[in-house]
Amino acid sequence: MTSRERVLAAMRRQETDRPPFDLSFGIATAQLASIRARTGADDPWDYFGADTRMIWPGPTRLDTDFSRYLGRLPRGSTVDEWGLGHVPTASTDADHAHLEGFRHPLEEAESLADIAEYPLPDVDAAYRYESVRAEVEAVHRRGLAAMAMLECTIFERAWYLRGMERLLLDFSDGSAMATVLLDRITALRIGQARHYAASGADVICYGDDVGTQRGLLMSAAMWRTWLKPRLAATIAAARDVRPDVLVFYHSDGNVEALIPDLIDIGVDILNPVQPECLDAAALKRQYGSRLSFWGTIGTQSTLPFGSPDDVQREVRTRIETVGVGGGLFLAPTHVIEPEVPFENLVAFVEAVTGERG
Amino acid sequence: MDTDALSPLMSALRDAVLDGDARGAASATERALGQGVDPQRLVDGALIPAMDEAGRRFENGEFFVPELLVSARALKASQAIVTPLLAQRGGGVARGRVAIGTVKGDMHDIGKNLVVALLQGGGFDVVDLGTDVPPTRFVSAVTNDRADIVGLSALLTTTMLQMKATLKAMETAGVRGSVKVIVGGAPVTQRFADEIGADGYADNAAAALALARRLMAPGA
Repeated sequence: MTSRERVLAAMRRQETDRPPFDLSFGIATAQLASIRARTGADDPWDYFGADTRMIWPGPTRLDTDFSRYLGRLPRGSTVDEWGLGHVPTASTDADHAHLEGFRHPLEEAESLADIAEYPLPDVDAAYRYESVRAEVEAVHRRGLAAMAMLECTIFERAWYLRGMERLLLDFSDGSAMATVLLDRITALRIGQARHYAASGADVICYGDDVGTQRGLLMSAAMWRTWLKPRLAATIAAARDVRPDVLVFYHSDGNVEALIPDLIDIGVDILNPVQPECLDAAALKRQYGSRLSFWGTIGTQSTLPFGSPDDVQREVRTRIETVGVGGGLFLAPTHVIEPEVPFENLVAFVEAVTGERG
Repeated sequence: MDTDALSPLMSALRDAVLDGDARGAASATERALGQGVDPQRLVDGALIPAMDEAGRRFENGEFFVPELLVSARALKASQAIVTPLLAQRGGGVARGRVAIGTVKGDMHDIGKNLVVALLQGGGFDVVDLGTDVPPTRFVSAVTNDRADIVGLSALLTTTMLQMKATLKAMETAGVRGSVKVIVGGAPVTQRFADEIGADGYADNAAAALALARRLMAPGA
């Protein structure tokens, strides 16, 4: 069974030789350096034999000047193609995305025109998907599954531009500014979803963090008003091009209250199913015939603070409780932070593959 | 229940804050003051109970982050009128001063901001130290800002470990004994709080307010 066959079968809830696995969304800079030093290998995905590879659109040809939106940024800051300012912190791992600050370009926007005229990137431009098609083919030639990354789909992208508190206040006020911002982002995401589906990618990875560890960030009613129809449109766009493309949805935290809605709009796979706040076995019992689970190994608990035995036990428990009949993809629940001992990563992979490294 | 809470003007103010109606909160405040209600009684009888109720609803899952944000905005609309009046006569009755920030390297401040809103609503004087706050700044919050309580927040396991370094810096500076330290954030647990020697842990914003009140109670 190739990795690709394993991923496709398991996520369609069929039995496989073992559950597929990968290393989640990436590895913190300090951790990556340490893994490279330990293994002598440049790419931990190759070294550990992960079943997937992530793919993003090719580089943009636009060179937009966002300085009128961002003002003066501190030394060492960068600006991405959406106009979001990335500001370094005092952290020792400052170039790692979770440890930087944001400067939101639309935080001070006061009129509809400010939002309507904001220069959004060309992430939906056809030329940026030529490289995607080539990368998907290369990944498939290696027998691996290709994941097309569409994370921060709508809500997160919108609050990166507007600021989270401002955007949530806009939602509460029923502001037309929020409507226009979300609609403009959704239009871009629909274009991206179509290109990704046409590229032959196996899984399209949508995602918007709408959970806290205690429950939803906003009420389910607010999510259904502002976000569900737009997320549904981006999923429908992909399915329109390729009906059997797998739809993966990521939200940190406890989003159990949204699961029936997510299934409704065509989500096949829920990620990351944080064990600190969700019971993957219970979710499997309730939704396992319609939903697959990706993640489930805690980067907030077992991986950084448990022993290798704890990690192996967590993996075995998941396989026994969630993996029955397929539907389980094992992965750390998020980026592997610097505190995760190398031995725990090895224990994770060994427990999944049944092989000694 | 305070008799003030029963008067129609006080309940109008309390409801406006709970409904997140900033304009309504400002006009209810003006009307109450116009009828001779003492500003401190407005704070004690309407504003604090309103934000307490908002916190209770948040804890019960009836309110989410947006509802807390609009309530805090309405609270501020009332405070903008009341606070200058209290300042004219030497300040309101603060329940204590809390200096709070996310620890060094951590920029995630939504949780911290909710705690700030509820503490302010609860009558505390809050010094918001912001994000990515180095240990030395928490030390000076005790020495210069005269905080009774210092609050440390972190979202990541990586930055959570900075809490330990911050407590150590406070000990080295000799200020640890004169302040209560409370901690919170997604990866933080009571066990971790105990391990690093914090005085308290809360798993949500409303619980943080209750914790701060316990720590400021006589004999705590």
